[in-house]
Amino acid sequence: MQGSKIFLRALALLTCLHAPALFGAESCDAEASWKASAAERHFVVLAGRTGVFYERSGPTFVMLVRGGGDEVDLGAFGIHADANGHPAFGGVPARWYEAFLRDPAAAGREKSSAVMLRLEVSGPQYERVLRVVRTWERRVAERALLYPDFALDNILLVKQVTEEINRCRQALVPYELDWGLDDAISEHNVALRIPFEYFKELKVRNQARHVSDAAMPAQLRMATLTAQQDAQAPAREE
Amino acid sequence: MKRRELFVGTSGNTCVQGVRTCGTADLIPNVALRTHDDVPVRFYDDLVKGRQVVINMMYATCEGLCPAVTSRLVEVHRALAPRMGRDLFMYSITLKPNEDGPAALRAFADMHGALLPGWTFLTGDAFDIDTLRFALFRHNHIKFDLDPNFHAGQLRIINDSINRWVHVTPLASKATVLQHISWADPPKSYEQRMQDNRALQDEIGREVAKYGYRKVI
Repeated sequence: MQGSKIFLRALALLTCLHAPALFGAESCDAEASWKASAAERHFVVLAGRTGVFYERSGPTFVMLVRGGGDEVDLGAFGIHADANGHPAFGGVPARWYEAFLRDPAAAGREKSSAVMLRLEVSGPQYERVLRVVRTWERRVAERALLYPDFALDNILLVKQVTEEINRCRQALVPYELDWGLDDAISEHNVALRIPFEYFKELKVRNQARHVSDAAMPAQLRMATLTAQQDAQAPAREE
Repeated sequence: MKRRELFVGTSGNTCVQGVRTCGTADLIPNVALRTHDDVPVRFYDDLVKGRQVVINMMYATCEGLCPAVTSRLVEVHRALAPRMGRDLFMYSITLKPNEDGPAALRAFADMHGALLPGWTFLTGDAFDIDTLRFALFRHNHIKFDLDPNFHAGQLRIINDSINRWVHVTPLASKATVLQHISWADPPKSYEQRMQDNRALQDEIGREVAKYGYRKVI
């Protein structure tokens, strides 16, 4: 009798655990019918470096680039260093993300201490990623982060971003970052360092999808150059 | 070429390690919710502050765990009926706020015989529900925390007046759930403890007289 009770409880648990995802996927119709346009391009950049913080991790964030006409939207969100060199989570100051407007590997510097995977995405993919980042921006603004240690929030952010890119079709070869038995990255790294190692692994798996500097649209390359020149001016300091 | 910043990198929207101002300022988020009677409430101010509460997460269309959990909570409610709505309260929060409005929650409660005194079903904004879910049930483990079903299989018992948090699975026996709830009970008065001790000593005396030893521990 006791055994059958335990069995029924386990069955109930399994039934629920195998229920469809609670937060159902929104329609992928927009992505299926989306037409690429040379006038407006969308990029998601996964960027990080090591050797900045005390335990040798460093800024790791998601950068969004949208260029069209004579306008470019730029921004990055994640972990960066504050004015005192301490880890901070939120909107990344330009001085941190502008180093990743150009591929550090292509420039022949910091090959092992910096990683960057630049993906060209569709408009709907970009909007979904932007929505994820906006939600995190709201969490920071309202002091409503999900974990007491924001290194875990950053892991959640990068995981959500990559999953949103892949929501409707496999746009990048994924790595299952879930602290499960097969997740070696989470097993062998401190929380602050996990997103960097995650990006490194994604870069290896998606080398062919990485958009090189040369493949970037000329307009956006120009914007990059302007941004970097602006960044050198003292007035640009946050 | 005009450049627009998507996210502003100022101290106003950045959390800095060490300062610890983000996320942990409120142990129990005071988010705005709606009850199954469509009454707006603040989670901490109106429902938890100074009270002993039993909280679980569910959703109206869940066919596996949620009915089993709700059924166990109905049994627990029966056992604690004199206290319910007086110094003990139950809250069931939906995991699917976009689907479960007050009417859906009321129908779920009605179907499971859970429209009982001191038991409130709650819904709200998805952002706030996530904040609440992590604040009350997180395990600091990405895999578990991202699975809302995992959180549906837990009960959080809080006595805010003495800042005591207890956790138990609702799939445990009724006796176990009741015992866990009692761990968060308010401290008894000296007189009450003496009275309980006398009753216990009498029981021990009876067992020793009957069996020669203390049978039940």
